[in-house]
Amino acid sequence: MSEFIWKIGGEAGFGIMGSGLMFSKIFTRSGYYAHSYSEYASLIRGGHNVSQVRISDKKRDCPEKHCDLLVAMDKFSIQAHMHTISKNGGIIYDGKEMDISDIKIREDINTYNVPLLEITNKFKGKILMRNTVAIGATLALLDYPLEYLENILKETFGRKGEEIVNMNLDVAKGGYDYIKENYDTSKYPFSLSPKEGESKIVFTGNEAIGAGAIKAGLKFYCAYPMTPASSVLHYIASKEYDHNIVVKHTEDEIAAINMVIGASYAGVRAMTATSGGGFALMTEAIGLAALSETPIVIALAQRTGPSTGMPTWTEQADLRFAIHASQGDFLRVVLAPGDVADAYNLIQKAFNLADKYQIPVIIMTDKFLSESAASVMEEELKSLPIERGKFITKDMESLSQGEKFKRYELIEDGVSPRPIPGVLGGEHVGTSYEHFENSFSTENFEMRVKQADKRAGKIRKLVEDLEPPMLHGPEDAELTLVCWGSHKPIVFEAVDRLNAEGVKVNALHFSYIHPIHPKTKEILSKCSKLVIVENNSTAQFGGYLKEHADARFNGSILRYDGRPLFPEEVYEHAKNILEGREKDVVVYDKDPVDYYSAALVE
Amino acid sequence: MTNIQEFTTKEVPQWCPGCGNFIILAAVKSALSQLNLETHNTVVVSGIGCSGKDSHFFRTYGFEGIHGRVLPVATGVKLSNRKLTVLGMGGDGDAYGIGLNHFIHACRRNLDITYIVHNNEIYGLTTGQVSPTSMKGMKTKSTPHGVIEQPIHPLALAIASDATFVARGYSSNMPHLTKIVAEAIEHKGFSLIDIFQLCPSWNKVNTAEWFKDRLYDINEAGHDTSDKKKAFEKALEDVNTNYEKVPIGIFYKEERATYGDELPQIKEKELINHEIENIDMSKTLARFK
Repeated sequence: MSEFIWKIGGEAGFGIMGSGLMFSKIFTRSGYYAHSYSEYASLIRGGHNVSQVRISDKKRDCPEKHCDLLVAMDKFSIQAHMHTISKNGGIIYDGKEMDISDIKIREDINTYNVPLLEITNKFKGKILMRNTVAIGATLALLDYPLEYLENILKETFGRKGEEIVNMNLDVAKGGYDYIKENYDTSKYPFSLSPKEGESKIVFTGNEAIGAGAIKAGLKFYCAYPMTPASSVLHYIASKEYDHNIVVKHTEDEIAAINMVIGASYAGVRAMTATSGGGFALMTEAIGLAALSETPIVIALAQRTGPSTGMPTWTEQADLRFAIHASQGDFLRVVLAPGDVADAYNLIQKAFNLADKYQIPVIIMTDKFLSESAASVMEEELKSLPIERGKFITKDMESLSQGEKFKRYELIEDGVSPRPIPGVLGGEHVGTSYEHFENSFSTENFEMRVKQADKRAGKIRKLVEDLEPPMLHGPEDAELTLVCWGSHKPIVFEAVDRLNAEGVKVNALHFSYIHPIHPKTKEILSKCSKLVIVENNSTAQFGGYLKEHADARFNGSILRYDGRPLFPEEVYEHAKNILEGREKDVVVYDKDPVDYYSAALVE
Repeated sequence: MTNIQEFTTKEVPQWCPGCGNFIILAAVKSALSQLNLETHNTVVVSGIGCSGKDSHFFRTYGFEGIHGRVLPVATGVKLSNRKLTVLGMGGDGDAYGIGLNHFIHACRRNLDITYIVHNNEIYGLTTGQVSPTSMKGMKTKSTPHGVIEQPIHPLALAIASDATFVARGYSSNMPHLTKIVAEAIEHKGFSLIDIFQLCPSWNKVNTAEWFKDRLYDINEAGHDTSDKKKAFEKALEDVNTNYEKVPIGIFYKEERATYGDELPQIKEKELINHEIENIDMSKTLARFK
């Protein structure tokens, strides 16, 4: 397997994230997979940003802790990340802009002093182009042809005219040539060469959610910006004319979800996306969607909470909140895609489930999945048939005088036909109040019970649409790692490594969280030892499985410091748990780094 | 003219005897019928409170949402299908208390929605607490020693927020109310009708007796509805004259492109009429390569 991990760090506002994406595309167009993961503070300028790109000839949709080359745009990047550089790895830095004489560089590390700014200035480039110089220099070190980068620069800047394109090409070549002229690249132990293969799609979890929603026929999108959900709004807004979608940045999240409910009541596919704080504001309306039986889809991108918490970091701690949000008992679906392709596919399913069962559907990601970019083959992206359920758009016979349509007819499968406004003979009220079949309010006990049972009874058919957890690794494992949502690639990779060493471990990943798949209990009962792996402090999903599937866990691997788990950590602790050295593990980073103030913490 | 019976439900409202809601309901139904609107192309969105029950008493489409969120729901309905006539029904608590944020934004957004606010200056369904429009000093269950704040001035707020149709009615003057409701529905853009509504159960201050010598029709008095500055002045006349003169009528009217007019996505076809089977993603996905 050939693999290379590139990391670029610097102050916010200098294009660190954008260069990660550009670096990914060079390789996804030449036969490789790429995964790009960013860390940054909640600041527009200052602070510390880092983007880490993992290039691999195998699909690896998660970062590792180490890197093979660090591009340090400032001194702090070296101080903060030197310990993550692999043996004989390298650092590219601009010695004319920073004095690093007081940093003791590890002896095995190759340092490359490249005058990034001087090269940029030589071609009259803007300061942001330093990143392009660094990418050129990196390609030289890897002995990788420049042409893929050149094509990307031509496409990216083509609209801005030839002068800008040439300037970018010049700075890229400037970086490339500087390395070739001043260093013996054969001494750098990492190299890559282009492979055969189609160009892959590279997108973030949020873009996958947005694109999948467009595929599912989304026509109305409302949201209020909140990290890490905002890029769903940005992406769909950028496509509003291409795909005829009305996109509204609303006054708040309460308006967003109520507009979505109004649009869905009127007959279009509608959704919103938010993070925990915005979801809190939406909770009352989730119950409204449930009682009025109006289909809605909410994407919930989690971040480190509670309250403002650490806004730009990741966590999986809103699971119980999503499952239980809003007053009263009601049916909802909670989904949590495991990677970007899954996000694209599952959002389509979310719309189908919402429409078929006339219920709210919540699709959960987190900052890690939402904002990391991964590469997928186009065939991994499905086109699910549109299922709108019992949806009436054709005029019916006029109702008799004074009568309304039986919108909430007590019906065997619980799903009553839903005419939309404009349909003759379908007049009724979509209502938040308990009601008779004709939608008129009631407080009659028997009708209340019948309507509540009708709504809840939809689950009988609904479970047939759920998918069981995905098993990865040998069936006869001694230990099973249980995970959900974004942590699929991380845990699966740990399993692969353990299996490669002959350790019999497997993983069970859940994308369909709630309601629980009816086979779950049986599946779990066949596992010899269970370990729950989650990105939160209380093993929320573990508790859910105890409640609904009698799961008994023999250990846990939890993390809640703002980072996702890394595969090597899961590997290590799974092994320790299996061999009896550990049981309940909390993982956190002891790096003396604070991204917020770009300082080392003593 | 549509037969008014078309808009009548077999269910009968149960408001307190003498409640202004009865007249408002009758006036709105009468306006719908006069405008020859069709029951299946009309949507009445209501919130929570005594007025929240309104949507159930129109034999049209309707939506009874949650407290304060009438306008967002109405917005979603209207943008999805502009052929529908969309009415919002709220009380003073719903519109100017919990839902005030949406109210201001709806004004500046200028969607083609008619917002009918039942302003009885008190919380009725929760048994008589202060409302955002209760007069200073009013004693209620939640303000036993009198209201301290100044009341909200909804018409002034609407005018300042660039609403394009701003009017006030009175629940004991049905012919006048019917006329302005009809005009508001016909107006292309966001229209606010704030209705002084009698609440015989809880508001013992702003009674029919109280209104009798104070109300006057500004349109009869020759007010120019295109004069925004004058309209703003008139919107504050009640409080500025210490409630000696309380104007009703159409205060302000302006023609301006609606929010929907600015959206090319729905210029040719309503959102609900767009085909969603087999959406071609090839170009969109190619951008990610």
